[in-house]
Amino acid sequence: MTKIFLTLFILSSTILFSQTSVCGQFHRKYCVTETKNGNSNWIYNAQSKSGLFNQGMTSKIRCVIYKGMDYRINVCCETTIGDKVNYKIFDARTSELLFDNAAAQGESLFEFQSTATRQLIIEVTVPKGATEADKHKPMEAACVGLLIEHKVTDRQGFSQY
Amino acid sequence: MIIMKRNYFLLAPLAASLMLVSCGGDKTEGSDDVSAIDTTQTEVQTTQVTETFFQVPSPGEMLTFIKMVGGKNNKNVSFLNSPDNQKNYTDNKAKALNFGIYSCDLSYCSIFEIGTEALKYFKVVKQLGDQIGVSAAIKPEVLKRLEGNIGNPDSLSVITDDVYFTSFETLESSKQGPTLSLVVAGGWIESLYIATNLSKYDAKSPVVERLADQKYTLDNLIEFLKKYESDASVASVITQFVELQAEFNKIGEKDAAVVTSTDKTKKILGGGKELSLTAEQYKVIVDKIKEIRNSYTLTK
Repeated sequence: MTKIFLTLFILSSTILFSQTSVCGQFHRKYCVTETKNGNSNWIYNAQSKSGLFNQGMTSKIRCVIYKGMDYRINVCCETTIGDKVNYKIFDARTSELLFDNAAAQGESLFEFQSTATRQLIIEVTVPKGATEADKHKPMEAACVGLLIEHKVTDRQGFSQY
Repeated sequence: MIIMKRNYFLLAPLAASLMLVSCGGDKTEGSDDVSAIDTTQTEVQTTQVTETFFQVPSPGEMLTFIKMVGGKNNKNVSFLNSPDNQKNYTDNKAKALNFGIYSCDLSYCSIFEIGTEALKYFKVVKQLGDQIGVSAAIKPEVLKRLEGNIGNPDSLSVITDDVYFTSFETLESSKQGPTLSLVVAGGWIESLYIATNLSKYDAKSPVVERLADQKYTLDNLIEFLKKYESDASVASVITQFVELQAEFNKIGEKDAAVVTSTDKTKKILGGGKELSLTAEQYKVIVDKIKEIRNSYTLTK
């Protein structure tokens, strides 16, 4: 019995390790969006993250956004687990809901700036039964990427910068 | 959505159950009690697994900001950690912390267009990287790319950012959490040390405002480090950072000003608090940053 558990543990560890590696840079490869004018100045933000999700799973990151910067967030996933990923953005301090992409027609891209530097909680959920015509197994897992980019907010009027 | 399929069928429950175990250091919410998991019913894991990961901006973000708000002509490297000190870092803690510090110095030289110094710092980053297990992330051809882009600060910044991000990814995917956390801690404290060497106190200075805002980043960084607090080296860094956090927590707050935008594609997240750092608080924080940073770089 011990051997079975040990074998299972090693097997599972190997699976998790390999899948973590697979998802590691997923957001950098697959969540990048083209900008309409092609000259966006968006810079990759190190708080981006990818992870392995299955249907019904929720995961959160807490990140810091600075005043005076524009940010955009894009969440993408492999079609194995569905065509839509839901995400919500909360103020980490007050728990106020600041954005819910489900209320924005499932839009994956969100562009914003903040009046103050603050911590945000970004909660990503892969809904259950979200696959095309439900043809996939609910326990299938795949990579979900959360890409955060930033740039300096364009100044309006005269500026000290 | 990505047109790409990969079947993890049947492997997912195992992975999901292990995720719970492997992320034990993170704050969990709901009823996720690791000890209560019934391993015979792994299907249950496909419901809700809620965990929080604490993210930290890269040192390059702070340095780019400083350059943008008025440091374009700065070429001062006197306060950076001398590459000659690298030989003094013999234990794993010193190597990891100073890998982060030198990576930040490398970013600084790239962002501020000090190309010849960037090459020196790349070499020490490469040497320490080989010793802490990220040699695969810092390939020799990167040096050729750096040499070929001296005089092109944008390209240099991209290359050095890649070195940092790839090293981070390598340590994360190879489960070297304590080393990773020390690298991140070293990079962060060095970025603050550089910022304080490039600025003087002025309550309205964007750099001073950004320094005060590090209160939030420090909160995240400490939570991130706590995941590996069973490691003695990480625990000692947490102790130092908690002392610094106590000083940041003394900074006063006021309601943020209202901002409007004519850009309809961009939402404004209103509310929040602005921090107002006094001259006295600034001095105490600067001194503490210097004390912590030097405790890492002056190791003998």
